[in-house]
Amino acid sequence: MLDVDDSMIVRGLLIESWYVAFDDYIIDLAWAPDATKIAAVTVEGSVFLIDDLGESARFKLIGQHDGGANSVSWRCDGAEFATSGHDGLTKVWDGTSGEGLCSLEAGDAWVSKSIYSPRRHVLATAAGRQLKLWNERREVFYESLEHSSTIADVGWNPKGPGVAVAANNGVTLHLSDSSTHPRKFKWRGSSLVLEWSPDSRFLVTGDQDATVHFWYRESGKDAQMRGFPGKVLALSWDSTGRWLATGAGEIFLLWDCGGEGPAGRQPRQYAGHANKVNYLAFQPVGHWLATADAGGFLFLWDPSDHDKVIGGVMLSSPASCLRWCGDNRLAVGQQDGKVVVFEVGSGSGD
Amino acid sequence: MSTNRFQVPVTVLTGFLGSGKTTLLNRILTENHGKRIAVIENEFGEIGVDNDLVIASEEEIFEMNNGCICCSVRGDLIRILGNLMKRRDKFDHIMIETTGMADPGPVVQTFFMDDEMNEAFRVDGVVTLVDAKHVLLHIDDGDEVKEQIAFADVILLNKIDLVSSEELDQLEARIHSMNVAAKVHRTRDAVVDMDRVLDIGGFDLDRALEDDPQFTEQYRVDHPHDQAISSVGIKTPGDLDLDKFDEWLKELLANQGPDIFRMKGVLSFSDTKERYVFQGVHMLFDGRMDRQWREGERANSLVFIGRNLDRKALNEGFNACLT
Repeated sequence: MLDVDDSMIVRGLLIESWYVAFDDYIIDLAWAPDATKIAAVTVEGSVFLIDDLGESARFKLIGQHDGGANSVSWRCDGAEFATSGHDGLTKVWDGTSGEGLCSLEAGDAWVSKSIYSPRRHVLATAAGRQLKLWNERREVFYESLEHSSTIADVGWNPKGPGVAVAANNGVTLHLSDSSTHPRKFKWRGSSLVLEWSPDSRFLVTGDQDATVHFWYRESGKDAQMRGFPGKVLALSWDSTGRWLATGAGEIFLLWDCGGEGPAGRQPRQYAGHANKVNYLAFQPVGHWLATADAGGFLFLWDPSDHDKVIGGVMLSSPASCLRWCGDNRLAVGQQDGKVVVFEVGSGSGD
Repeated sequence: MSTNRFQVPVTVLTGFLGSGKTTLLNRILTENHGKRIAVIENEFGEIGVDNDLVIASEEEIFEMNNGCICCSVRGDLIRILGNLMKRRDKFDHIMIETTGMADPGPVVQTFFMDDEMNEAFRVDGVVTLVDAKHVLLHIDDGDEVKEQIAFADVILLNKIDLVSSEELDQLEARIHSMNVAAKVHRTRDAVVDMDRVLDIGGFDLDRALEDDPQFTEQYRVDHPHDQAISSVGIKTPGDLDLDKFDEWLKELLANQGPDIFRMKGVLSFSDTKERYVFQGVHMLFDGRMDRQWREGERANSLVFIGRNLDRKALNEGFNACLT
């Protein structure tokens, strides 16, 4: 296995702790809220629950989505988690035993995403062009009209009401109340990924036409960041909501969204990867950033302090998802089916 | 537009309703060619063979904010093919069947405009089926049939058992006047050798003009309707001035890009020993230096296929770029 050139790493703050290996592309994974388990889904549709974390980590195959799986999400109390698949179903699993609890008919098409509200026992499912919201009794209590295209991404408002949906022609904010019209954040372009700033001030999308579009949630004012080398799929906000990281080919950019917002400001550029940066993930509390590229490199940065990598490894295959658990553990899903957990050096960069 | 041998070839299958697309697909899937093929259909049909994968897809066109139709891509294809790329079982070939009314433009553009698609796939060719018996009934109804013919690398003139050979000759001449670069095969029940529809290298610069489709011939046919869509071939000796040519082509594509469906050619630039090969779809242009010219071979040959092409202006514009 290749190693990272040590000269570009100023501190070795990324240390592999343990891994489990499946034999299929990890398309999504999620930490249980109490950090004792990880649920993972693969591109061919397998659903795994990883238990007894640590060097003796065990995993079990608990079920399957026919045709393939797309996403996994835990309910905030950790009692259950939901997976979505090509079979038109969102499946709900017991968070402790991994037993299947029920299958929700989310739609006729692929269920691109099922995601629990961060605070309530409400589940949002996106299948084809339609969003549905489910309550604890597994009943649909809100059904959107058809969006202008298949839903590309879904994100709950982290600080306030509503769930946002990205599709062709912008973002729609559904307020989960049938008497209130959804709010449209229009944009004549195709949004692919959606990220709320943690303070709910901004809604940001990465777009097909090599741009990043952002809206001020309150005023609805919008702006656009241009000049990316291709469609933008990698976005991450730091915990303060001031810094937005975006992938841009082999580099990534950091936009200062504090004060008046990013308009008119030049982003900071970070070079180090030799391949396309596919994934970016800021720590949930601290301000370190994990980045993964198409060549299998995983780096940790302290972007507010300097532009050198503070931790780096070469994975056995390129990452397919990055998920933080607190600031000290990072789970990496890989294309070859591994789920690797890294311990991150003490402190959060302060 | 990168080219590498790991790119999975994609065949785009177009044709009006009833022209025989499903029959051809069935043939391709059952033929013993040893390839694993994934088919993306516009709706679930009756086909589906062990070892192959058939996925239904609803056409979803993503237009870009700049309003340029040449930048439109098919969101549904990006989603489905993006997922296929991640699977263990790789496919040797992708077939995309479009609806009878579909514009092949966004399908082809998807593989040039989207960076992930461009990296993983290459368009092998556009194959268009034409119903020899009924095409004349609807060819003038709208732009679809004409655009499908104009975009094609290969045209299967199907159902030849239902029309006379005179009618076929006329029809073929008319098709030729619209798209002089496409190869036309006459078929019954879509029976055709697989190597005429798969791995044809329609977008492959190395093979762009190797079969010399005689595109500079002038076809005289009495179909004034088709003046809207035609081919203009230019073949001329001499060397081109790179800067002048570059400027001319840029301006041409900026003004007429939406009307130029396909173009390809081999060019001779002054002070270079190598041939320059290029091809394009609307405003998307792909070109590079190729092998060295052989003795006595140096010449420029290129063809434009499009709507409202001005043969005289194109020839004059091109000739003005010669040194």
